[in-house]
Amino acid sequence: MRRLRLVLANDVRRHLKAPLAILIYMAVPLFMTGLIGVIFGPRTEGRELPSIPVLVVDNDKGLASKLLVGAFDADQLKKMFRVTVTDEADGNRRMAGGKASAMVVIPRSFTLDLLEAKPVTLLVVKNPAEQFLPDVVEEFMNTLAVMLSGVVQAFAEEVKGVRAMLDLKVDGFPWEALGPQFGKAQKKVVAASKYLNPLLIRFKTEETKAAGAGASFTRADLFSIILPGMAVMFLLFIVQTLMRDIISEREDGKLRRMMTTPLRPIELIGARIFGGWVMGIAVLLVMVAAGTLVFRVHWGPFGYFLVLGAVASFWTAAFFALLHALVRNRNQAGALSAPIILAFSLFGGSMMNPEAMPKAMLAVGVLTPNRWFIDGAALVREGRFPLASLVVLFASGLVLLALAVPALRRRTSV
Amino acid sequence: MLEIKNLTKSYGDVLALDRFSLDLKKGEVLGLLGPNGAGKTTLISILAGTIRDFTGAVTFEGRNLFADRSMKNRLGIVPQDMAFYEELSAMDNLLFWGGLYDVPRAELKRRAAQLLELVELAARAKEPVKNYSGGMKRRLNTAIGLLHKPDLLLLDEPTVGIDVQAKVSILDIIRGVGAAGTAVIFTTHQLAEVEGTCSRIAIMDHGRILAQGTLDELIRIVGERDIVEITGVFAAAAFSEALGDIAGGGIEPLSVADNLAALAVADTEQIPRVMDRLFRRKLAVTDLKIKSPGLETVFLKLTGRSLRD
Repeated sequence: MRRLRLVLANDVRRHLKAPLAILIYMAVPLFMTGLIGVIFGPRTEGRELPSIPVLVVDNDKGLASKLLVGAFDADQLKKMFRVTVTDEADGNRRMAGGKASAMVVIPRSFTLDLLEAKPVTLLVVKNPAEQFLPDVVEEFMNTLAVMLSGVVQAFAEEVKGVRAMLDLKVDGFPWEALGPQFGKAQKKVVAASKYLNPLLIRFKTEETKAAGAGASFTRADLFSIILPGMAVMFLLFIVQTLMRDIISEREDGKLRRMMTTPLRPIELIGARIFGGWVMGIAVLLVMVAAGTLVFRVHWGPFGYFLVLGAVASFWTAAFFALLHALVRNRNQAGALSAPIILAFSLFGGSMMNPEAMPKAMLAVGVLTPNRWFIDGAALVREGRFPLASLVVLFASGLVLLALAVPALRRRTSV
Repeated sequence: MLEIKNLTKSYGDVLALDRFSLDLKKGEVLGLLGPNGAGKTTLISILAGTIRDFTGAVTFEGRNLFADRSMKNRLGIVPQDMAFYEELSAMDNLLFWGGLYDVPRAELKRRAAQLLELVELAARAKEPVKNYSGGMKRRLNTAIGLLHKPDLLLLDEPTVGIDVQAKVSILDIIRGVGAAGTAVIFTTHQLAEVEGTCSRIAIMDHGRILAQGTLDELIRIVGERDIVEITGVFAAAAFSEALGDIAGGGIEPLSVADNLAALAVADTEQIPRVMDRLFRRKLAVTDLKIKSPGLETVFLKLTGRSLRD
């Protein structure tokens, strides 16, 4: 045991003296998690979209154009759009300066053409420097156009009357004729009220709820889902790097020298596997700490997660001990390890959400440590004990260890 | 102290050690000379315990050298490879490798400091070894093998690929270790190294010892004759045929290969006779050297080839 501890302490000292590879492997999952969270996560911690700056050029200044501009003033839309009414020259200047996401140009005689049921065109100028917000404005204007067209068609008869009245002078306006027109319109409105009240088309924000997520879905929730998958993938990379010593020491003569000392092969093997296990746990703990501090990741009960991490690390150490006992040299180990880790990560859900996977991939995924770790981490996040993951990882880890030890003993016979 | 009897080891059809036998006394420094493939490294590996499938017997002070693991505490190995951790300092390496033996920690630290002084690395003891020169690394490699004060030290070509200064330093250490009572087996194919360092020299080839003794004893094998080394453009068979009946009359071919031959001559006045024979057969000679007898001559005589072949 003294010599096992000595080898273990020496390994730790060596890796602390040259920690670059491990630091990179720890930084990459955190960086990737951050990147994925920023790109695909909610834009703010709350559920609201940012206010979209929109310019409106009203060349018509008629009844319909005022209705259109007024639509932006509705309660929900006020929060969504920040509208500035301006003229075309100023609007073009502001768009060129990137001051707005889009500019809506209402053409002259918009109201009259609409009342005469002629086709009218609203121009939406989008800011090419922005990716999503101009599309939101375009979709909104589309919806408004559909609504307005529908209103005009529904009230076609009344619209004709109103159109005729608009051509008359104010002093000759038949005010008394308005009564029947409004009376007809009122009847239609009452009949349609069950569809119009509440409004037929409304804006509603829908949210996806992930397992274990709270009432609102935030970036922190997304990080909580992504980081365990990334962590287990890079745990595999880190432990395989540490276990690479088994091969490299054989190749560079250090193993031969060790075997000339009173050190027993089993002590060396024990130190290597135990070292891989402990370092794996340490790396996971660092990732947990960084994930909590940087991304406010919610891991669930720490004790449960620690047990899960310890068992996953044990599996990883046993697996790579066996792999390095079977390969001939460093090149073979490198050529095999990377594809295996990537396959584990792809099928096991480190690279994509298992819910989005085809059934065949899901079936393969259960053969990977990533899948069991990610599923276990999801349970821990909900506050539940990940019994199934622990049993599977521990039992299969024991089998791997049982195969690795005799294979490594043969490898130490230099 | 060390007794090796009929040690035999083969790799497939290749016989690496062929009934190899050797005795070594306390404080004796044995230089084991042989060309590549002679079996030197195989012998060291067997003695170090890293090759186990062999036949024969090795005893150390009357006990089977491989009987129990504690015997490893009495052996010191300096392998041909630079077997240590380059990312660690010399001190860290010494403490780790020394720690694998049964040496108390405090004693280990004291010996490590002493050895660093001995191999002239004390000033850079805390620097990562990867920054060291080749010679410094060789000295550290040697120091690791001495840390636990072994009774038998095995060095496998400890001076390969280093400058003259580092080589002299390592040879001094080997002499000092021998003088302190440790038995040393030291393999090399550098003749000059064994001439000044070893109390006994063994020449081996094809897994067997061809001759052994002090330098003077070995030189007596070739007698007090000069060595003529002839370089030219000729086939070995044509050269031997050209010599004809003069070989034997005070001229002895030691080695004859294509384009290179070595002859032992009792009298240098016989050299014109040899050249005359070669010119008559139109064999071109481009160089001719006359050497006094030495270890190389002995080696040529015994193995029929140069050490570097």
